[in-house]
Amino acid sequence: MAPHRIALLFNANKVYDRQVIAGIGQYLNSTRVEWDLFMEEDFRCRMRDIHRWQGDGIIADFDDPDATDALCNLTMPVVAVGGSYHDAAAYPVNTPYIATDNAKLVRLAYDHLIEQGLQRFAFYGLPPNPRSRWALEREGAFERILAADGMESTVYRGSPTSAGGWGHAVEELVAWLRSLPKPIGIVAATDARARQLLQACVIGEISVPEQVAIVGIDNDPMAQLLTRIPLTSVIQGAEEMGRTAAHLLHQMLRGATCADTRVLVPPVGINVQASSKHQPVKSPHVMRASHYIRQYACLGIKTEQVADYVGISRTVLEEHFKRELKQTVHQAILQHKLETARELLAGSTTPLTDIAVRCGFTSLQYMYAVFRREYDCTPRQYHEAHRQIIPS
Amino acid sequence: MNAITPARQWGALPDGRIAHRWTLRNDSGMAVDISDLGGTLLSWQAPDRQGRFGDVLLGHATPGDYLHATAYMGALIGRWANRIRDGRFELDNVPYRLDRNDGPNHLHGGLDGFHHRLWEVEASIGELHLRLVSPEGEGGFPGELSVEVTYRLDDDGTLEIAYTAHTDAATPVNLTSHPYFNLNDRRGDIRDHMLRIDADAFLATDAGGIPYRRQPVAGSAFDFRDAAPIGARLLWPDDQLKIAGGFDHCYVLSESSLPESRLTGEHAPLREVAVVADPASGRHLTVSTDQPGLQFYSGQKLGGTGRREGGHYEAFSGFALEAQAFPDQINGPDDAAVVLRPGAVYRQTTQYRLGVD
Repeated sequence: MAPHRIALLFNANKVYDRQVIAGIGQYLNSTRVEWDLFMEEDFRCRMRDIHRWQGDGIIADFDDPDATDALCNLTMPVVAVGGSYHDAAAYPVNTPYIATDNAKLVRLAYDHLIEQGLQRFAFYGLPPNPRSRWALEREGAFERILAADGMESTVYRGSPTSAGGWGHAVEELVAWLRSLPKPIGIVAATDARARQLLQACVIGEISVPEQVAIVGIDNDPMAQLLTRIPLTSVIQGAEEMGRTAAHLLHQMLRGATCADTRVLVPPVGINVQASSKHQPVKSPHVMRASHYIRQYACLGIKTEQVADYVGISRTVLEEHFKRELKQTVHQAILQHKLETARELLAGSTTPLTDIAVRCGFTSLQYMYAVFRREYDCTPRQYHEAHRQIIPS
Repeated sequence: MNAITPARQWGALPDGRIAHRWTLRNDSGMAVDISDLGGTLLSWQAPDRQGRFGDVLLGHATPGDYLHATAYMGALIGRWANRIRDGRFELDNVPYRLDRNDGPNHLHGGLDGFHHRLWEVEASIGELHLRLVSPEGEGGFPGELSVEVTYRLDDDGTLEIAYTAHTDAATPVNLTSHPYFNLNDRRGDIRDHMLRIDADAFLATDAGGIPYRRQPVAGSAFDFRDAAPIGARLLWPDDQLKIAGGFDHCYVLSESSLPESRLTGEHAPLREVAVVADPASGRHLTVSTDQPGLQFYSGQKLGGTGRREGGHYEAFSGFALEAQAFPDQINGPDDAAVVLRPGAVYRQTTQYRLGVD
């Protein structure tokens, strides 16, 4: 029997979509089911003619309303993948639906901020758009959670990201951040939005996480790469969504009816980084210095530069550091460099020399020496020991 | 080495005897409470991602509650963990009839299994030794069985449970520990926990929970070789899930159903077989064992069970991962592997390790 012809209609440029596809791949590998897979770079072009396609089944991203319209009335088996909805009527009818649980994503981010001791919360979302209904769902979930806890929620949707009004949008975002009572924890609808918040905080000289703690959603390595302050982010169960969707389609191809099946997949975890590690610091000098260190430690700064930035003498700054953080300014700089190096070692295959340079070590040898002293192992050993436990 | 607080009185049993409790502690502040009643794990205080301590074990309030309940919470289970079909088996051509306490089947040692017994306890440096003699005929089993179980809590968060047993007549032996975990001490539901089990097959069961077929996990809700959320898997359409109302199945950890240790009396190597992680608290639990089977129970029937803090547990308040031989193995082709004979030593080691991400 010829393998089934299956179309995967996803936007493979997004990390979330790619993980869903990876999950489908995992399912096929584990079952040795063979499908002829059809994927398009721009799947929307394909959508208009999909009813003429001679295939056996489809797994599609239903966050796109065009997909919902084009695929709902097909006779071949279709499995929908998308975001969860608060209103059950928003789900497509007669189509099995595998969802990322928007309410639980937001709940995990919010609970984490509560754990950090924060008492004020805001949400940074997206302007309404039919292609990103999930952003409004996350916003709604955030408002419901806060209402249930008897708290007022602040929501800012900003403007759509377009090159034209970009500078203006950043100014507005800085103004919004300045207007917020501090300290505050902000849940961003996505890592892309969280990255904009981090950027605006740098421009507005608002210290992260002391004044504004930030949690994104997606755990997108690209967002991590582009931010100076490592971003805390909720990890979606996208691979499990892919495995579940493949399983349902597999059953439907064998004649099962799964039309009523709806599986909401909770988050896998939260990657806790510096953007949300809220530690109440009393000295404004230490707060300013820590903010500067987090941004520039990896550029090889020295204690003098930190003192200059804060605008007090080295001696006075050292006194403040010793009292509040029980460490010297130099130790704080080194600690940030080491933490960044550990992140990179655990999560990537970047050459060690590059990691040493990117973390502001003067040489690879120096990084080795510091690693041995602090962790009793070499950077290579650390990489070997930690790469296995990264979910693949 | 780690401290043990001296025995404290916990409460009276209906017959007037007193149940006691001991506490094992480690360097990171963990505290595990164990009772001589059933050798039961009463509580395990462990830190979350923030360093805040909470109890990760389900439990009842009083010794009397433990005697009345049917969930086997935290208890040592014997002489036969899990089920035996129709409460019958034949050994050396002699038929035996056991207590039938789970419909028509035998479960967890019968009406007065090890979980209801008052164990003899001796505390040594960092360890708690529990001893029990199970008389001939208890639950219907042949031979007098002497059991010793050692609990030890290490500084890395490992709770080791090591079992030995010997007998004066041939008898089936299958021991286990039955803790129910909820890694999130603040939410009474384990369905968002992420589970990984390193097993390619599980045992499909009939409506009575008796296995009838070894089935590959590939392509089914039972495939936890990649970590997956327990609750989302419960929503997969699956006949085996429907039969048990959730997961209550034995995973096949090793193809050999005959652990080396059974023959040689040596310690078999431990293998890391399962990891459960809770995204909210950041806690994770790692299970290592030398046993061939791992029963995974998702807690679907816990609704109405008495809760330590008062009130009742809901369904899915906790999960259990029990390392053991295969259910009803005494009635299958590998029956010899689960028979202990005079002169031989039964050994099992299982570890539960708690950490944070």
